[in-house]
Amino acid sequence: MTIVTGKAEARRRLRSARSGVLRKVWKHRADYAYVLPAIAVMLIVIAYPIYYTIELSFFNTPPGLQLRDKTFVGIDNYTAILTSQVFWRVTLNTMIWTVASTFISFVLGFAAALALHRDFIGRGILRAILIIPWVISAVAASYIWKWIYHSDFGVIGAVLVGLGLADRPPNFIDSVSTVLPSLIVVNIWREFPFAMIMMMAGLQTIPDQLLRAAKVDGANAWQRFWHVTFPHLRNVSTVTILLLAVANFNSFIIPWIMTGGGPSNASHIWITHIYELAFGRQRWGVASAYSVLLFLILMTLGYFYVRALSGNERKDGSA
Amino acid sequence: MTRITLGGAVLRGAVSTALTASLMAAPALGAPPVDLSKWSPEYVRSIAGTQEFDTAADCGKVTPLDYKGRLTFWYQGVFEGDPDLLRQYYKDFFETFRKTYPNIQLEEQALTYNDLLDKFRTALLGNAAPMAVRLQILGGTEFASKGYLQPLKPEDVGYSTEDFWPGAMKAVTWDGVTYGIPTNNETMAFIWNADIFKRAGLDPDKAPATWDDVVKYSKQIHDKLGIAGYGLVARKNAGNTPYRFMPQLWAYGGGVFDETAASPTYKQIELDSQQSKAALQASYDMYVRDKSVPVSALTNQQADNQPLFLAGQLGMMISHPSDYNVMLDLQKKATGTDKDKAQTVIDNMRYGLIPTGPDGKRAVVFGGSNIHILKPEYVEGGKVDEPAAKAIICMWTSPEWSLKMAYAGSNPGNLNGFKTKWMKERLDNIKFLDVTTSMLPYGIPFPALPQSPEIMNIIIPDMLQNALTGAMTVDQAADDAAKKVKDLMGGGL
Repeated sequence: MTIVTGKAEARRRLRSARSGVLRKVWKHRADYAYVLPAIAVMLIVIAYPIYYTIELSFFNTPPGLQLRDKTFVGIDNYTAILTSQVFWRVTLNTMIWTVASTFISFVLGFAAALALHRDFIGRGILRAILIIPWVISAVAASYIWKWIYHSDFGVIGAVLVGLGLADRPPNFIDSVSTVLPSLIVVNIWREFPFAMIMMMAGLQTIPDQLLRAAKVDGANAWQRFWHVTFPHLRNVSTVTILLLAVANFNSFIIPWIMTGGGPSNASHIWITHIYELAFGRQRWGVASAYSVLLFLILMTLGYFYVRALSGNERKDGSA
Repeated sequence: MTRITLGGAVLRGAVSTALTASLMAAPALGAPPVDLSKWSPEYVRSIAGTQEFDTAADCGKVTPLDYKGRLTFWYQGVFEGDPDLLRQYYKDFFETFRKTYPNIQLEEQALTYNDLLDKFRTALLGNAAPMAVRLQILGGTEFASKGYLQPLKPEDVGYSTEDFWPGAMKAVTWDGVTYGIPTNNETMAFIWNADIFKRAGLDPDKAPATWDDVVKYSKQIHDKLGIAGYGLVARKNAGNTPYRFMPQLWAYGGGVFDETAASPTYKQIELDSQQSKAALQASYDMYVRDKSVPVSALTNQQADNQPLFLAGQLGMMISHPSDYNVMLDLQKKATGTDKDKAQTVIDNMRYGLIPTGPDGKRAVVFGGSNIHILKPEYVEGGKVDEPAAKAIICMWTSPEWSLKMAYAGSNPGNLNGFKTKWMKERLDNIKFLDVTTSMLPYGIPFPALPQSPEIMNIIIPDMLQNALTGAMTVDQAADDAAKKVKDLMGGGL
């Protein structure tokens, strides 16, 4: 009897909750109508490709056959990826590329933001100059850098040889040991202005009276930075780092145009490798499995990004 | 000095005959419009300008000139390494087509060699391909074997199969059915700078006879003058790499399969043979041991070698006759003393036959392009305007336009092109054309397999890069490449 009563109570609560939700939805029907077109577009251009990629990741797609002739292979694509040497090489490259590019871009961007936050003559011009790498087309920048680095008649090589600092031009992008660091330098050059702009925006939100009060209390420049400025920038720093990390994980243009992932796969990162597997080698199944793995990593980063943003909002709300 | 022995001469003769027979073995009975057995620069000169053709009238019989329709068309167009002359002919072709067929609404799109395959494959997946496409020679069998292309033979556009190079017809044939028509076919030649040869203590008027000589000459040039000897190219996903490495591989007696045989079966993988390894070793010796080739070879393509050659910083390279015109174009753009330096290089530019291997085997890639019609279900809108597609195909593969569109860098796919007045004019205008037409009988088509694009554009360059960067030894790199080909042919993941 008691049990029956409990079930009935649970059903009643569920009905009440449902009607509560429906009431809320109905109340906000206009809002839902406004976002409906956007949701429909997202379902078509995002949700369906994600579903299709996941589905395809369980099929073998031999390059000699059409995609419709694919055969189901279960998790074989994932097993093949995880047991292949190239995967681990490419993964290591991706980690080095992402961590180094993100960290150094952030540090340089932060330093530039701190420098440009001060008032001095020519600050506006300098700020404009520093933003150039970020606004320039990545494709154009890649070609320019390819010529700067050229192992036979690149600008850097010519200058070093001209000044007598080297006998022959350094090998930047035709060597397995130097190619990745060389590409990371180009990526940092392109990305640090983004970090700089974000951090400059963050610096402008720090109340001046706090810094002045700290100065009155006898805090030196480092202490003011560490105890006042930096804590205020924690959230914007988190967001900047996460955005940079996601962008770097997805980075394609610079490595693809400058080296195509070579030489000898030394500059292949996940995205370029996925592209080559899919469009160069037509291994759509394996490429899809790679994409699913990358998707999971990026979703994890995305979760932290959203959490950082929500943290900001909660903090702002409680302030 | 090259010593000619009786044995060597017999062997060379036998190899050359076998290659010629392979290339010229007609798939169908019928006399070709030119006598391929007499093929020589003198013969080519003797037939040039001997016949008149009326392209509009010929194509009007295939598709009436007042036909009203719409055509979407993609083609491998000119790119940064092509001469201005070729750009003009491409422009003229589309203008002429529009004048000849004023009621056909043509939507054409030019793509570079390296981008076309990727874009075309992607479009096919989304059933958004064009109605007709002109692809590199490698692409024909891949798309035919997958069932994307409609059967199409020269007879469908008013010509006969015998009007085209038999070797080229093989590249558009899959399972006994013809799926396209060759637009142009070419073989490259060996180019050197006579002045650099002279300064390096080499005979300025003689090309290296063998690939071993290329290695030696490259080292000598580098050691004496401090510049790059041979223009090695080993970039991945670039057509230039197989076009330059395969002649070397074949000359040493190697191959991917048995593609140099008169009737290849493509059953046995030869990339890990001793001969193939010897060819790879030659590249290794130049790049790693002697450091006598551009360091940038791993990221370079031929377009990067051209300015190096023009600047007098490169002694030898393999390329088309069009490179002479490219040099003239680049020289016009140079300023100050660079202009004079470039002119000196042009004056010293020499063309010769591609070197042989140690056994006297001479080989070159039989390259070119084909034109195809897609099946409606893979085309945007689900419809193919066949008469419109046949109109452009008839025009492009006509004796007139197949010659004009290959004016500087290739040869007409339609053999009747060699008989036109434009061929005569071309022989006078394009320096060194004789040398590259002389290489045609040595041409070997890429394996007519759907897997060829991956083998040539990815596996072969990967093998070179693995060996040249030291990521693998020469033996390991060759074995690794052979394994990749085996996996690929087995349909593995």
